[in-house]
Amino acid sequence: MGDSQYSFSLTTFSPSGKLVQIEHALTAVGSGQTSLGIKASNGVVIATEKKLPSILVDESSVQKIQCLTPNIGVVYSGMGPDFRVLVRKSRKQAEQYHRLYKEPIPVTQLVRETAAVMQEFTQSGGVRPFGVSLLVAGYDDNGPQLYQVDPSGSYFSWKASAMGKNVSNAKTFLEKRYTDDMELDDAVHTAILTLKEGFEGQISGKNIEIGIIDSDKKFRVLTPAEIDDYLAEVE
Amino acid sequence: MSRGSGGGYDRHITIFSPEGRLFQVEYAFKAVKAAGITSIGVRGKDSVCVVTQKKVPDKLLDQTSVTHLFPITKYLGLLATGMTADARTLVQQARNEAAEFRFRYGYEMPVDVLAKWIADKSQIYTQHAYMRPLGVVAMVLGIDEEFGPRLYKCDPAGHFFGHKATSAGSKEQEAINFLEKKMKNDPAFSYDETVQTAISALQSVLQEDFKANEIEVGVVRNDNPVFRVLSTEEIDEHLTAISERD
Repeated sequence: MGDSQYSFSLTTFSPSGKLVQIEHALTAVGSGQTSLGIKASNGVVIATEKKLPSILVDESSVQKIQCLTPNIGVVYSGMGPDFRVLVRKSRKQAEQYHRLYKEPIPVTQLVRETAAVMQEFTQSGGVRPFGVSLLVAGYDDNGPQLYQVDPSGSYFSWKASAMGKNVSNAKTFLEKRYTDDMELDDAVHTAILTLKEGFEGQISGKNIEIGIIDSDKKFRVLTPAEIDDYLAEVE
Repeated sequence: MSRGSGGGYDRHITIFSPEGRLFQVEYAFKAVKAAGITSIGVRGKDSVCVVTQKKVPDKLLDQTSVTHLFPITKYLGLLATGMTADARTLVQQARNEAAEFRFRYGYEMPVDVLAKWIADKSQIYTQHAYMRPLGVVAMVLGIDEEFGPRLYKCDPAGHFFGHKATSAGSKEQEAINFLEKKMKNDPAFSYDETVQTAISALQSVLQEDFKANEIEVGVVRNDNPVFRVLSTEEIDEHLTAISERD
């Protein structure tokens, strides 16, 4: 990297012991579009709003939910360009693990390595923290899992979580609705209802994205038609 | 006692402000507007057209050397709006990258891959302090083998989207409002309609009628996927067609 002039960290401690750049990154996440994830007994669902800046944008060219491996998917709230960088790095790490151990990377390991990358950018010279929080959904030998990773690099496993603009309402809604024995279909309905709570305008298969992984361990993003079917069921 | 705005450097390099904004990226957008040029891109059913103003500030300048339209490969075009020097760097690197792609993988770089590459490079400049963001909005156009005509716009923040129609530069918002009205019902424009929509959008937004040598027009078409800059005669034909239509 050509940043020898910047071999000092830009993220430094304030007198009160806070890392203000990380807090500002969290603010950037908090002004991003709402996204959420729910872990069911037989799978995981992640969903996000997909509000585009204009009707002139071709919505089929934008995909906010990405898959990192065939059995792990991820969604974000915050800055899209930063998310692309993390997706690329995570995919590479998953492949490197597979090359070494000849088996698919466990969800916890991938989350840990992604979080380590995000932490690096809070301590390395000449860089700023990532302005995204990630929700990683996966299904491996330890069953369905949902992790949230923050700009600081800290991560936790969640039964259900939300991020972005509408985070407090969404989390309250999820706390009320979540049950430990929820099935994946119920979880998708709950996810849609949670998004609907804070949604401005008419919700449809074109302005939200939903990704699911069930016991067949294959992560996939639902088509707009499938989302519309779920929306009709919810009405 | 918290330190507030990080020592005031949040306006000088790309670190976060207390509101979670990147001022340097926002200032890069302002630099694009300050260049005083407006550009428009429209995607039709089987073609894509981009139009931009051609302002030659000095009569002694060689007009042919003043351009914002750059072929990246035979099939991909790039319209750069904003700071010309930054545009030339971007074009140079894009050309290199597209040529390496062709060599490495044995097929032409698709439009969205190029747009993504440009956007990822722009993202690096928003995260690393040693380089500032480029003051350029790039519109990339080409015919994709699978998806047909494609138009992408990449900005200094590292965002990129596919567009049915879009605009960049000083009158960006007015142009987008105009285009939204035209494209509201998902029309499928023919080649002539695409070009004429783009040119008339520019004329309407800037409220002036152009002569053929005051604008630059670049096209790609399904039946001729080579990126081509229209000659002044062809531009004249379209301008005449527009004025006869009105």
